Amino acid sequence: MIATDTSELLPPSLMAKLERMEIASRKVFRGRMKGERRSTRKGQSVEFADFRGYVPGDDLRMIDWNLYARLDQLFLKLFQEEEDLHLNILIDTSGSMRFSHPTKLRVASQIAASLGYVGLCRNDRVRVAGLGRSGHRAPVLRGRASTVRMIQYLRTLEDVEAGVESATLADSVKDFLVRDSSPGIVVVITDLMDKTGYEAALRMLIGRRMDVFVVHVLSPEELDPPIRGDLRLVDSEDGDTTEITLNAFVLKRYRETVQSFIDGARQFCSRRAITYFMTRSDLPIETIVTDYLQKRGMIR
Amino acid sequence: MTLLPALSWWMWGVMAAVPIGIVLLYLLKLRRQPITVPSTFLWAKTVEDLHVNSLLQRLRSSPLLFLQLLAIALATAALLRPGYRDATQTDTKRVLLLDASASMSATDGDDGLTRFERAKRLISKQIDSMTDRDIAMLMTFSDRADVLQAFTSDRRKLREALAKSTATNRTSDITQALRAADGLAAGKSSGSDDDKEQPTVAPVAKTDLVVYSDGAFGESTNFDTSQLNVRYERMGTNVTKNLAVLSLSVERSERDPSKVEVFSTIGNLGTEPAESPVTLRLGDELIDASNVSLPPGDSIGLTFEIDESPLMRFQLVIDNKDDLGIDNVAFAALRPKRSRSVLLVTPGNDPLEIALMTGQAEKIADLQVVDPAYMETLPYAKRVAAVTDQLIIFDRCAPKTMPMTNTFFIGALPPKAWVAGKMERPVLLVDIDRSHPVMRYLDLFSILVAEGRPLVPPEGAIDLLTAEQGPVMAIAPREGFEDLVLGFDILSLSGDGKLSFNTDWHVQRSWPVFIYNAVRYLTGSLSDDGNLTFRPGSTIAIDEKKLNTALTMVTPDGTNVSLPSDAAGRIDIPAADRVGIYEIQQSGTVVDAFSVNLFDRIESTIASVEKVTIGDQPVMESKSRVNGRSEFWRMILIAMLAVLAIEWWYYGHRLMA
Repeated sequence: MIATDTSELLPPSLMAKLERMEIASRKVFRGRMKGERRSTRKGQSVEFADFRGYVPGDDLRMIDWNLYARLDQLFLKLFQEEEDLHLNILIDTSGSMRFSHPTKLRVASQIAASLGYVGLCRNDRVRVAGLGRSGHRAPVLRGRASTVRMIQYLRTLEDVEAGVESATLADSVKDFLVRDSSPGIVVVITDLMDKTGYEAALRMLIGRRMDVFVVHVLSPEELDPPIRGDLRLVDSEDGDTTEITLNAFVLKRYRETVQSFIDGARQFCSRRAITYFMTRSDLPIETIVTDYLQKRGMIR
Repeated sequence: MTLLPALSWWMWGVMAAVPIGIVLLYLLKLRRQPITVPSTFLWAKTVEDLHVNSLLQRLRSSPLLFLQLLAIALATAALLRPGYRDATQTDTKRVLLLDASASMSATDGDDGLTRFERAKRLISKQIDSMTDRDIAMLMTFSDRADVLQAFTSDRRKLREALAKSTATNRTSDITQALRAADGLAAGKSSGSDDDKEQPTVAPVAKTDLVVYSDGAFGESTNFDTSQLNVRYERMGTNVTKNLAVLSLSVERSERDPSKVEVFSTIGNLGTEPAESPVTLRLGDELIDASNVSLPPGDSIGLTFEIDESPLMRFQLVIDNKDDLGIDNVAFAALRPKRSRSVLLVTPGNDPLEIALMTGQAEKIADLQVVDPAYMETLPYAKRVAAVTDQLIIFDRCAPKTMPMTNTFFIGALPPKAWVAGKMERPVLLVDIDRSHPVMRYLDLFSILVAEGRPLVPPEGAIDLLTAEQGPVMAIAPREGFEDLVLGFDILSLSGDGKLSFNTDWHVQRSWPVFIYNAVRYLTGSLSDDGNLTFRPGSTIAIDEKKLNTALTMVTPDGTNVSLPSDAAGRIDIPAADRVGIYEIQQSGTVVDAFSVNLFDRIESTIASVEKVTIGDQPVMESKSRVNGRSEFWRMILIAMLAVLAIEWWYYGHRLMA
């Protein structure tokens, strides 16, 4: 059983639901170990896949002798290999993720824990990693028993001081890809608040033929700021300031900008076969998992 | 459109710095509250077009700055005091003459203001319309003229002087004010040496004399107005309602000494019929009342008879209100009776002594008869030094030095000032001045005088009895006293040394009457039987010879004023402006009293006149009412406040909406 101290990231009630679920990848990847998923690798499962001509050296046990009798040619009968899935969950740990209550990082960790737990229950290869330097310590996990380690790692992400993870989204993704280039599912949980843009990062993931999911977490304060007056807004990541006199007109423009930003991200993702979800950080994790991730087909 | 800047140059400098300061404050960054946000990424996108760096763009995009600058511009415009004037006048020199007499207290307008207050408003407008090159002076006049402010171009000084001016209860005499105005306009001394800013006035330039009055000052023809452009600003209307107490006197009854008679005259000096109850009060007690109904211009006498009591203070009141209040009430105080001491120095004169001992004469005088040799004694010297006697009669003798009291010389002359002609006979009387109190009720043309000397009295004397040869009886003032001199004897020594009568006057009925009149007048008893009343502002002299200790005067408002007296015991009270009863007390005891009342037909006739005569020319009421400015600064100031309100609303709306 999972220790009780995992409950804040992964409530037991949710865990019960997650145990029956699996990550719905739209691609079939080659794994490293036998798992519960079909692999592109033809193997020894019971499910027929295809025929191919015999070439010297092939395993003679795979020759379809019935076909040789009929056609007088040697064909190999190929079966689908059942393999595990590589599930990579990347969490944006930048300063902007540490806002609101609960913080976006906390919500991102909860989502990552949920997805990771699904993967672990399915015996997939799960790697939950923070984007940036903290990702270097990210363990590769497999099996339900690794849940505690996953939770422990996620906790360390919250403990990292804000400002340490100062790399851009693109650099962080690049760093991740350099260290782990195995294809699979990549779930990026981020607020996409990167002044250099998020597009480059996502393109890199697509370029590696990964099945990319983007979970876009925004806080209610970002969607509808409760502030008014003559303000100097200080960026939590780079300290940049923006002076503004917040009134109804400016707020209206801001809301339009936010909506345009969300629409832009959704459009970018849909054009590149990236699955995009937007969620608010003030929603309970159960709601996020059931109403967002499950209903929209990320997990089933 | 003209401008009258209200600030000095350095104030304008400060004013000019205000908008610059506002713009600088806008150019400097606002003190904004710092707030840390996840990312300024979206905010920066939002305010991309608002968050501009150009200063001009920043200023252009600030309606608040525009509104604030507009408010400052409006304030500046208000301080410039733009306005219109009916006629352009430059370099004018103006004397503003304000009538401050009692009639100016009339409230015959619709606005409830007195004429004086309306006149002050007009003058205020006149001052406002002055440019820096105009000069003006401000005077008030009643029975005297007061220069409140000499010629100056400083409007502030004129306004301050105008604010200090007050209406008086006095009568009007414009002549003194006209002389002063003419003298000052001609460049003579203004009488205010401390006013160093007084500009030099070119004598050739004509001065505007603007008289703010109701015209109730009579004619002043004895005056040359050739150097003045006289303008008459008429105050008040010619339709007025005014009942006035024209006289109030109190006398002890001749018939019944225990009674006191009160005589009063009520006149309707308005232009409409008037009716009102008239009440007489003794102290606070209502004594009598009468209803008076009078057509315009008519008057009526009212008489009341009351038992005498100590401290009789009367107040006659016309109860209904009318346009002038000061003449609706009159005061009178019955003077306390006092015994007067008369010293008769004579070698022997029975007719005179008998006349001095009549019942009436004894009531007013304590007579002591002495021989001329008494004048050489020490008691006489002491008596004279102590001013014991109110009257000394010298019959055919004269002192070496004149005593400090009133005297009556019969057949002798005072040692100084008086000169007599040679003895003439017979003395035929040709004229008598019956208007003088000494000569009242006398018919002297039937008396015979054997011989006498015509008198050459000193300056200021009044000839009471004149014979063919010249005056044979005269009265002359002397250092606050009066000397009555009769130029012929009653009894005289004949050539054989026997006494003989020089005249048959002593057997005439007029003789005791004359002696009584003379004693009554010269002892000051004349006013003892009744009351003393004065007009407001007049200098009052009271003879209090017997009262050697310090005296205090209690005014109608209860103020105590100590009264210094001169060596002769005369008291001069400088100016009693307030109507009412003034009591003179000695150690808390009332020793005398007098009243101050308007009692002036001219002042009470309050219908203002359209034409007055000033100098040798009639002056019509000025029709071009005010040469004043219509100023806009108030409206501009209101607009500025409105702009500030909009600015404040906009600021709040921008934040909170």
